[in-house]
Amino acid sequence: MAGRIKGPFEGRRRWKSKEPKREPLAGARVVTMAAVLRALILLMFGILVIQLINLQVIHGSTYKEQSAINAIREVPIPAARGLIYDRNGRPVVENTARFSVTITPSDLPEAGATAVYADISDVIKMPVSEIKAAVEQSIKDQGEYSPALIKTDLDRDTALVLMELEPHAPGMKVQVDPARRYLTGDLLSHVLGYVGPISAEQYADLNDEGYGYSDYVGQTGVESTYETKLRGKSGAKLVEVDAAGRELRTMSERPPVDGANVVLSIDLDLQQQVTNILKQYSQTSENAAAAVMDIHTGEILADVSLPSYDANLFSGKLSQKQLEDLINATGKPLVDHAISEQYPPGSTFKAIVGSAALQEGIAGPTTTITSRGYITIENEFDPNVVYVYPDWAPLGALDFYGGVAMSSDVYFYYLAGGFADDGFRGLGQEKIAEYARAFGLGAPTGIDIPGEVSGLVPDSKWKQDTIGEPWVLGDTYNYGIGQGYVSATPMQMLDAAAAIGNGGKLITPHVVKQYRDSMGNIYDPVATQVRSQLPVEPGYLQIMRDAMRQSVTSGVARNAASGAVTVAGKTGTAEFGEQHSDGTYETHGWFVGFAPAEDPQIAVMVFVQHGSGGNDASPAAAQIFNYYFGHETPVRPDEATPVPEPTDEPQETPFVIPTPLGGDFVPNPAPITTETPILATPEVTSAPEPSPAPTAEPPPETPPPEPVPGPLAQRLFRPLEGPL
Amino acid sequence: MIGINSRAVRHSDPILVVTACALVAFGVLLIYSASLSNYPGVSAGHPLVKQIAFASMGLIAMVAVAWTDYRVYGHTATGLYIIAVMMLVGVLFVGDSAYGSTRWFNFAGQQVQASEIAKILVIIALARYLADRHNKMDDPRVFLISLAMTAVPACLVLVEPDMGTALVFFAVWLGMVAMAGTPMKYIMVLLGTIVACMPFAALILLNDYQLERFKLWINPNQEPLGGGFNIIQAKIGIGSGGLFGKGLTHGSQTQLDFLQTSTTDYIFTVLGEELGLLGAIVLFALFTALLFRGIRAATLSRDQFGRLIATGIVIMILFQVFINVAVNIQLVPVTGIPLPFISQGGSSLIMMFIALGLLEGIVLRHKRLEFQ
Repeated sequence: MAGRIKGPFEGRRRWKSKEPKREPLAGARVVTMAAVLRALILLMFGILVIQLINLQVIHGSTYKEQSAINAIREVPIPAARGLIYDRNGRPVVENTARFSVTITPSDLPEAGATAVYADISDVIKMPVSEIKAAVEQSIKDQGEYSPALIKTDLDRDTALVLMELEPHAPGMKVQVDPARRYLTGDLLSHVLGYVGPISAEQYADLNDEGYGYSDYVGQTGVESTYETKLRGKSGAKLVEVDAAGRELRTMSERPPVDGANVVLSIDLDLQQQVTNILKQYSQTSENAAAAVMDIHTGEILADVSLPSYDANLFSGKLSQKQLEDLINATGKPLVDHAISEQYPPGSTFKAIVGSAALQEGIAGPTTTITSRGYITIENEFDPNVVYVYPDWAPLGALDFYGGVAMSSDVYFYYLAGGFADDGFRGLGQEKIAEYARAFGLGAPTGIDIPGEVSGLVPDSKWKQDTIGEPWVLGDTYNYGIGQGYVSATPMQMLDAAAAIGNGGKLITPHVVKQYRDSMGNIYDPVATQVRSQLPVEPGYLQIMRDAMRQSVTSGVARNAASGAVTVAGKTGTAEFGEQHSDGTYETHGWFVGFAPAEDPQIAVMVFVQHGSGGNDASPAAAQIFNYYFGHETPVRPDEATPVPEPTDEPQETPFVIPTPLGGDFVPNPAPITTETPILATPEVTSAPEPSPAPTAEPPPETPPPEPVPGPLAQRLFRPLEGPL
Repeated sequence: MIGINSRAVRHSDPILVVTACALVAFGVLLIYSASLSNYPGVSAGHPLVKQIAFASMGLIAMVAVAWTDYRVYGHTATGLYIIAVMMLVGVLFVGDSAYGSTRWFNFAGQQVQASEIAKILVIIALARYLADRHNKMDDPRVFLISLAMTAVPACLVLVEPDMGTALVFFAVWLGMVAMAGTPMKYIMVLLGTIVACMPFAALILLNDYQLERFKLWINPNQEPLGGGFNIIQAKIGIGSGGLFGKGLTHGSQTQLDFLQTSTTDYIFTVLGEELGLLGAIVLFALFTALLFRGIRAATLSRDQFGRLIATGIVIMILFQVFINVAVNIQLVPVTGIPLPFISQGGSSLIMMFIALGLLEGIVLRHKRLEFQ
């Protein structure tokens, strides 16, 4: 036997097939299917890759840009609202912040909502269950993308703690709303107005000027008129935010421009005094108003309307009921009665009629008319029907000064409508209306707070159009004494009186004097605006002024006399409302006047809704004059501001460089001292009898009879009664 | 039949396991990045930790399933099918909802997605059914009954609503009947009918919510801050990634929370933004490798049953990946479907590993290589 065949188990090697391993023969179908599947896989991934190339390569840069934009927000930085000061630089408002905490449900982490509630629960001292309930209620009310208000009016420390917590509590945000605090309470509410949330109509108008949906706008008063200047301009910052809107990084910033600070012409102390005085004399009235104006510039030094309201009510949450109560309260506290209500001016109107009569030559200073207490005229169709127009007393023979000073109704019936029996020609309604308008009635004065009404200057055309009846002589008589259809706002009467006082310039009153920057520097003073010149010669105005002076010294305005200064003025007691059973009416009390009589500086107006001109309005005015002229030297109002004013020339000898050769040699020159008087508080120089006591000047033996005019309504078919 | 002798371990497919673990690791990185803004530090509750925990459980399950002879499942196929249907019905009534869909059971605090389990069970049941009739595949009844078998769970899933998974069911069925030997013409006729009826079917079957989704897919700018927001954000996120991405944890859309469900449905966007086109291609390569190994398992399988299971699993994974990515890149209307092995989610991860276990089991038992 030559060589053995090596068997499969030769040696200790484990048998291994020498055939190459091959995949088990799968059926043809399976092979095809496998190939199809492989191809399908490659195809499907291929499609995906193609789309990816489309997105990432072809349009990659576009998306890159978008991903950057996505994460960047422009966040507005609100500007601080301008402050408001009185004329002496005392602040009357303050900007504060109102802190609230909100939770936006959609930003809450899916499983971590309770953790967020727990985090803030301790800080705001509200149980987690309450927070949860508030969030759920908000989701029902306004969906889950709107922030739910959890708690408001948080104090500053709490708010700061919450702000620190914000990055760790997604969905929670501290909301800061601007709030205005009126430091003067209800003292300046009508002048200042208040700031409130923007209404739908306002938003429609102001949207393009950058006002947001939940912005604040001055609603009335100075806050409203000067809104644009007070608001400033908000800035903006570019921040990187995450999808929950959380600010991560500020990239750039455009700082806001804070609002301009407004300086009022109002003197806070005077305003307080006038308020107190007016309150004393208006206790039976539903409302009252008083104002003090600088006669040469139109600056309003005090503007009081009673009843008033605390403007801070509008800074907080005001319920509908509270608002309604305010609106409907007696006396309408929200209304500035000095400008927004019109009343029959009564005898104060005689100042206008008298001036007109002088100018038109109807009367002169010596024109004498005798008042027997009434005049009568006959009905033009039936002489048996006689109308009686009464005076408040049989005053006897009066010249022009007397007519004004004693406020004789009969005198002014003559001036207004004439008296045929005496052959006296009157002005006539057309002329009266013309002069009334020239004195500023029938149109707003243009004062820079909103809500002014125009009053009414009637004439025959007006009566025909509005009432549908022809004008009669009786209307003219009533016109002449400021009753009937004519009505004016207290501010209009003040303006008219001021025009008489300053020599004929009808000046637009204003409550804002100038602006002030954050350093205290003054700029942009409001210029005096002369609306028009009275169509009355200065000479005649002087006569009227003298007549008004006489009214105070010896006439019906005696109670307006002041111990501190010479006053000239005109009272009015205007009837209104329903006639009582005894024939009397309720009356408004008026006083307009100016002081000092020989060189007027300020004009004062007092109006009480229920009272008399002589007994209520006049003494109130006297007290105002007392305070104004008594507590400081009678200087021009604008000089009363304690502003350091360096004198133009130094008081000491100036240092002269000694000339070496001859010339003026000043040995031992005095050291230079520029004695700049700091805070030149005007000392109270000896005022004539500084008696703040509200006593009238030489009290007459008998107080002047109460000038209550008789009933004015035209009495048709009422036979003449016996002599009054 | 149950045990394996040591020689069989040689024939296991390590590439399958390695690829899957690579995918899981990939996913863990992405989950970490996506959760960075909400979980700055890694702690016990961190999604990353949960994912690794579930992956570990998955690996154990995979080994257990691979160890078990898959033919055991075949014997209990009917029972498994019934369980699947019951689960899908049950979840509609007692399940938890999220993002408008009721898909999850709540077991002791853990969310278990019913459809993930049902998919595997239905594959097994379908495979058993078709394998038993492997020489009767010409019979149209087989075709239709198998369709009905798939349609029941698919419709239940559609009602949840979960359009994506329903689509996966359909694709799986199609692949399995094709592999099982259905004549091509049946398939063609069916596909033709579907294409023809699609518009009508869409109008009738889809509820408002899904129609909305469809409209938004066509034009997400209709609602840039509402429903279209996610689509737009995903596009921006992926697109801005460019070729190489912005770098892990440096994607602005991801880190600034502009992506919703960034650890699940939109995790591909995280990948696209932070790892760019290159990262996406790497992902696809890994999946391709995984799926090719699955196809290999199908070709190696000793019996039709195993073959069909493998086919079903391959198609299931393929279509899930495709649909998930396609949603992210706006190729397909939005539907929430997890990205296998990558998306965060316990049920998905464990079921995927179980599926791999089945594949391994099939590979391990291709007896023809045994020459003892």
